[in-house]
This record gives sequence, C-alpha cells and structure tokens, in this order.
Amino acid sequence: MSAPLPAQEQAKAEEQKLSPAELKKRAKAEKQARRAAQKGGQEQDGDVGASATAPNGVNGDSNTTKHDSGATQQQHAQKPKGEKQQKGQQQQKHGRQGAQEVESHHKRTGSQSQPLPIRRRPSQSGAPPVVQKPAPKKINKQVELFSHLYTQPRRQSIEGVSKDIHPAVLALGFQMSSYEICGSSARCVAMLLAFKEAIQAYTTPAGTSLARHLTSHYLSPQIDFLKSCRPISESMGNAIRWLKKLIVEIDPDTSEQDAKDDLCERIDTFIRERITVTDQAIATSACQQIKDGSVVLTYAKSSIVERTILEAHTNGTKFRVIVVDSRPLFEGKSLATSLMHAGLEVEYLPYSAISHAVKQATLVLLGAHSMLSNGRLQSRVGTASVAMQAAKSDIPVIVCCESVKFSGKVALDSIVLNEVAPAEELLLPSQSASAKPAKEDTSEDAEAKPKSLSDWKDIANLQILNLMYDVTPAEYIRMVICEYGSLPPSSVPVVHRLANEGM
Amino acid sequence: MSKRNAVAGGNGGPRTPPFDVVAAYRRLLSEDEDLTMPVAAIEALILALANTPASTVSETLDLVSKLTAQLKRGIPNSISLSAGTDLFQQYLISNLQRPSARGDFDQMRTHLVQNGKLFVERAKAARETIAGFGRHFIRDGNVVLTNGGSRVVGSLLRSAAESSNNRGTIRFKVIYVMSPNNSAEEDESRQNVAALRERDIPVATIPSTAVAYCMDQVTQCFVGAEGVVENGGIVSRMGTYQMGMLAKAAGKPFYVVSESHKFVRLYPLNQQDLGIEQNVVDFRTSVGSVKGESRSVKDEGMEETKGYKSPDFATQDAVDYTPPHLISGIITESGVLLPSAVSEELIKIWF
Repeated sequence: MSAPLPAQEQAKAEEQKLSPAELKKRAKAEKQARRAAQKGGQEQDGDVGASATAPNGVNGDSNTTKHDSGATQQQHAQKPKGEKQQKGQQQQKHGRQGAQEVESHHKRTGSQSQPLPIRRRPSQSGAPPVVQKPAPKKINKQVELFSHLYTQPRRQSIEGVSKDIHPAVLALGFQMSSYEICGSSARCVAMLLAFKEAIQAYTTPAGTSLARHLTSHYLSPQIDFLKSCRPISESMGNAIRWLKKLIVEIDPDTSEQDAKDDLCERIDTFIRERITVTDQAIATSACQQIKDGSVVLTYAKSSIVERTILEAHTNGTKFRVIVVDSRPLFEGKSLATSLMHAGLEVEYLPYSAISHAVKQATLVLLGAHSMLSNGRLQSRVGTASVAMQAAKSDIPVIVCCESVKFSGKVALDSIVLNEVAPAEELLLPSQSASAKPAKEDTSEDAEAKPKSLSDWKDIANLQILNLMYDVTPAEYIRMVICEYGSLPPSSVPVVHRLANEGM
Repeated sequence: MSKRNAVAGGNGGPRTPPFDVVAAYRRLLSEDEDLTMPVAAIEALILALANTPASTVSETLDLVSKLTAQLKRGIPNSISLSAGTDLFQQYLISNLQRPSARGDFDQMRTHLVQNGKLFVERAKAARETIAGFGRHFIRDGNVVLTNGGSRVVGSLLRSAAESSNNRGTIRFKVIYVMSPNNSAEEDESRQNVAALRERDIPVATIPSTAVAYCMDQVTQCFVGAEGVVENGGIVSRMGTYQMGMLAKAAGKPFYVVSESHKFVRLYPLNQQDLGIEQNVVDFRTSVGSVKGESRSVKDEGMEETKGYKSPDFATQDAVDYTPPHLISGIITESGVLLPSAVSEELIKIWF
C-alpha cells in the first residue's frame, strides 16, 4: 500500500515533463531512494516502476487486469504519458481509471508515514544545488533578490569618459555620486542648470538640424554619463522628458543661437515654475498644518520640509521638532542644525528611537523621492517604518512633494524600483586600524581570526545591502501637499497626468 | 428673479455699496425649504452682483471675493456654503478670463445674473437624479439606518418606497436616528419620517445612543452631508462619525448621499481641523469654563464670528468629520463615487 504515493508523485512529474529520458532517470532515482528507505518487500515495486518507464502499451495492457495490486496502480498512473504516444483509446480509459484509483488510494494512505522519505525525494535531489550556491556568491557580493538593481559601480573617475561630456555635467556627475548634491529636487535643478551650459556650448554639425541632433547625439551621452554616476531620480526623468519634448518642438526655421537661448530661457522658467515657486507654495500651504503646540516629526532631510518648518517658525507658531535620522547619510544632522540655528526647539533622535519619537509627535512631515501612481511614497529608506508607526498611533502623515516628482510608475514593494548604493557606505568610518574594532563585527566572524566588517568581501556568506529608498503604502499617508493643493494619495495619478503629461 | 431683485434692491439700493449678502443668504434659505446652503450662497452672490455695478473683470472678481469673505465671516459654519462660493468664483474666473469674454463683459454679466435661477433649478433636479441612482441600493427586506434631516436622503428613501421591482413595491424598513430634544433641526427629520410612514414604510426612531445596539439589524446606512471634503470624507451633523465607525466595525456599507455641488475644497486632518469653532468640548470647573486650558481650535479670522454666533452653539448645530476610510460610496448626481474620486472631481473643476 505504500506504492500509490510515489506513483502519484510520478504521474504529476510526468505531466510536467514528458521526455522519456527524464522518465527513466526519475524511475531510477526513485528505485534507489526506495531501496534505501526500509522495507525489503518494496523491491518488487521498484522493478515494476522501472519496467513502466518503457512506453510499452502491451506491458500496460497486461497489467490493467490486476486492478487490486498497488503495483498496477503505479503502472496506471504512469500510463497517460505512454498512451499519448500510442494513442490507444482503450488504454486511455484504463489509464484514467488507474489514475482515479490512485487518487482514492492516496487519500486512504495519506496518514501512513512510510512513503514520506520517498515523497521528499524531489526536494532532496534539489537540495545539493542549494548548498552549492553560496560558493559562487563568495565572488559575487550582490544580494540575489536585488540583483536587477546593481548597475555598474558608480563612476568615480574621469577615466574613459566621452570627450563630448560638458565639464559642467562632468562636475555635476561627481557631485552627485559623492552626495555633494543630494535630494531629488536639488539634483533635478542642478542637472537642468548644467544642461543649460551644455546647450550653450553646443553647435549643430553641418547637414543636420538642432532639433534632430541635439537630443540623440549630444544630450543623451550627457544623461548617460549622469546615470553612470548615480541612477537618476524621478524628477530628473520628468525634466528630461520635458526637455526632449521641447527640443523636438523647436521650429526648424529658428536660428541656432535663438533656439539655444529659447531653450535656456524655458529651462529657467521650468525651474522657477516647477520647483522654486512650487516649493514656496507648498511650504506656505503645509505650514498651515503646524499649529501652536504641535510636535512635528520628520525623518532624514527634505528641503521642502525644512522650508515648511522654517516658514511656520517665521510665522510665529510655537512648536517643537523631532528629527529622526539614520545611517549612513545622516542627512537629518544638517536639518537639525539649520532648524536649531533658526531658533527652533529640536530633538535629534536615532532611528532606533522611532517609537519613542512617535509617542510625542502630533504631525509627521515627510519629503519624497517620488510619489508613485498607486499613491505610494518612495522616499529615503526608513521612511516606511516611520509612517507606519505614526499611522498606527493615528498621527497624520503628510507628504510634501512637487508634482515634478510624481511618477506614472507603480510599485508594491521596495524591491522592484530602488537604488542600491555602494555597500562600503554602510561600513563604520572608524577603520583607522586602531584598537577600536567595531562592535558589529563580532557577530559576523564568530569562527576564525578577528575579521572586521571592513573585510566583508572576504567573509563567506556575508553580503551587504545598502538600499537608498523604500516604499510607504498609501494607507499610511493622510495627505500629499503639492502645488495643486492638498490631495489624498489616491489622486496622485490625476495630478501626474495633469502636470507631467500635459493632459 | 425680478421680484427678488426688487426685494434685494430695497435692501441695499444699487448705488449704496453695502449689500448685505449675509442677510440675503439667510433670507434665501428661509424662503425656500428645498434650497441647500451652497446653492443659497451662489444665489446670494448673484443677487449681490446684480445689485452692484461692476464694470471690469477684476472689479467683479474682487467684489465676489469680498462678498464671499463677508458671507463666510457672517455664518458660523461656513463649510457648506464655501463649496458654493468657491464653485461660483471658479466659474467666474474661468469664464471672465477667457479672452473672448472680454468684449462682451456686460452681456456675460447679465447672462450670469439671469441664469442664476437655472442653476438653482438644476441643483434641485440633481436630488431626483441621485434618488434614481440611490434607490437601487435598497432591496426587499433591507433595513436602512439614517440620521438627520437630509433632504436628499429623504428624497432617496421616498423614491425607493415608491419605486417597484417586478414583484411590486420594494419592502424595506428604516431606522431613523433622532435626537430626543425637540429642536427645530429635528423638524426635517420628522417630516421625512412622516412621509415614509405615509408610504407604508415602517420607520423606527432611535436616539443616537442606540445606534450600536441596533447595528446588527441594519443592512446599510445612508447619510447626508453638509460638505464632502477633498479626501472624500464628509462634514456632517454631529453623530455621523460615530455612526460611520460603528458601521465599519459591524461591516455594514455606509453610503453618503450628496449633490456634487457640496464638494468643498477643504482637507481636514481631524475633528479640530475643520476651520470652524465649535464649543463641543467645554471643560468646566465650578468657577466656569476653563477656556485657556482647553485645546484651542481657533482659526485665524474666526474671532470676528463671535458677534454672529449664538452663545449656545452646541451639539445640535455642531458637525463632525467622517474620514474617507469609513465611507463605502458617495452617491451623487454624476454617479456613485468612491471617496477617492472626490479629489479628482475637484481637480477637474479647479485646473
């Protein structure tokens, strides 16, 4: 009675893969496994199973007469496959019968413990590769799940850069890769300003027109260079899309200098309208939410949040600010400093103190890297937990975000859309070979000689993942403030269409 | 219209600047039982425009915004009427600033004044459309929970009572939440109850304290709204919020019935964020009210309203805010919307 289980197992497997060679292999493996697993009486079954691998109609036919033995059932379970080759109708019938029989037997014998080792066989045979996998990972220090996010390492040197790249863009690229210029809006503005210079330095080659040549042959390499320094943000993407559209629409009759001047002027307008003035409008609108006695909680640093808080302070509102910050960028330090210098009461807390911070807070203000079309917020990694903690304690979470950061993309998790920063940034800075080994190291190298975290590349089974962003679910966000007013997160796609796609 | 103009003209006179828009608003509301606050506000503004000579576009816009501010100051709870004034202002801006409108400004203005009535008529017709949409939500054997004297909910329930499916009229029951004190507010509720009972619909009236008690018998809830705010939540009579919470807890659908002209550009985060002062939570000691210590819900510009406010502005006129996650659907004349669609509608109007 122990036979039906493996038989069904086999039947299932055969449904998936029908090659006879495969079948034979499986049967053999099964035979071995069964021999290894107790019971001398099972030898018989194994033999039958092996014989069944031959897609032999006669063999099957003869067996159909003995309906009661477990061996027959096994045979039948295998049969549909053989039959398909032979197309004997009578056998098909038998085969189905057999399969049903097997199913019913399977139910009855389900409680038996004996077939279990055999049942696990596929996973056992699958196990060795799993064990082997870590070996290549020793070389490959990328986290498998995020492998799609690893681009080439961030460019740190000018080596091999195309000569077409404008110096302003070159400088910007390195400023971005070293976080000298950081933050979605700042990067967008800086990029547009660099492009302005690049456009002024551009001359259309003979035999082509500016509208056709500029984007594909001149601007694209600049953009690619910026991408190689650090993946571009959503706002930069939107701005680039806007700029490309603008270039295509240039009237071919305009002289080159006029066209370039016009482009630069339009870029200035774009920066003013979509970012500078917008920031002011958002700050004015958002600071209405800060009331006397409020305790504003914010995470990391957003220029818009900083502006909002400073504006509320200038308006004479009496409130307190809690800045939560985390490694590795410690962006909140600069926010806390600037607020402190403005005369605000600031509390600076580490990320591990979120729940404590949330207890006192009455309002959470967050900046954004991007607002996704399903209402989710993509922002500095860690934002999601802050928002979750706040939402759980019914504290309003408000996102301040220019519409240029709205995106048509949709993400359900932080895996698909993200940016992986160099893992070295997560290492502790105190690597000066002094007596102070970082505490975190001890857990990693319990086995051998004292390795520190900085040796992570030599430590097997250790990978470091340094994600830049995470995605906050829409239900944690009470309100999104953009230049179009205050919106529920569900209205992000409407505004995105309106603002970025001109519909 | 002409008669009203005459009345209003007697009030202020075409040349005298102070046209009392607040009085006109109040009078309009009291004259017409069926008028909603946003529509009354729009009508009052049109009356004021008709009575005040303004010759340029910017002058007109300036006048309208001044009148709006005056109106908002004059009425203690300006949420609902601001939906109307905002709509009107936006309509003016989009129409007057169109380049083509510039030439025939006067014509445009007279057109506006004359068509005010049409707008009111349409607003009233909307109620019937809503009833048409909404009655399909009520089926045989349902028990409907409702509160307040909302006219649109009343007309929906009446319409459901009169309509029929293929087996005859729909048989449903109504549980009506009424406050025990005989305030004027309850008159409308009583009228609704009487109208339903006349149509052979069994109606039970319960105090608001019994809402949780009867929630297990209820199939769905219908409530009216003073204003539908931007995130899809509603501002409605005190008690609606708790009804929504109880309905959510019991897993019963909670529908809001409202004309789309009640959509208001307001985004409250919580009950204190409505921009109006309600003296609902009033801490007292034996000495008296402890104003200083109680949480201040004052908004800028609200100080002036004190003159107009009756001192016992308490729970009977008070409103609360029901957040969108408690609302299953908003039945409007343009269809049944999810709360999240409100913001889209508003964006369509404003941009």
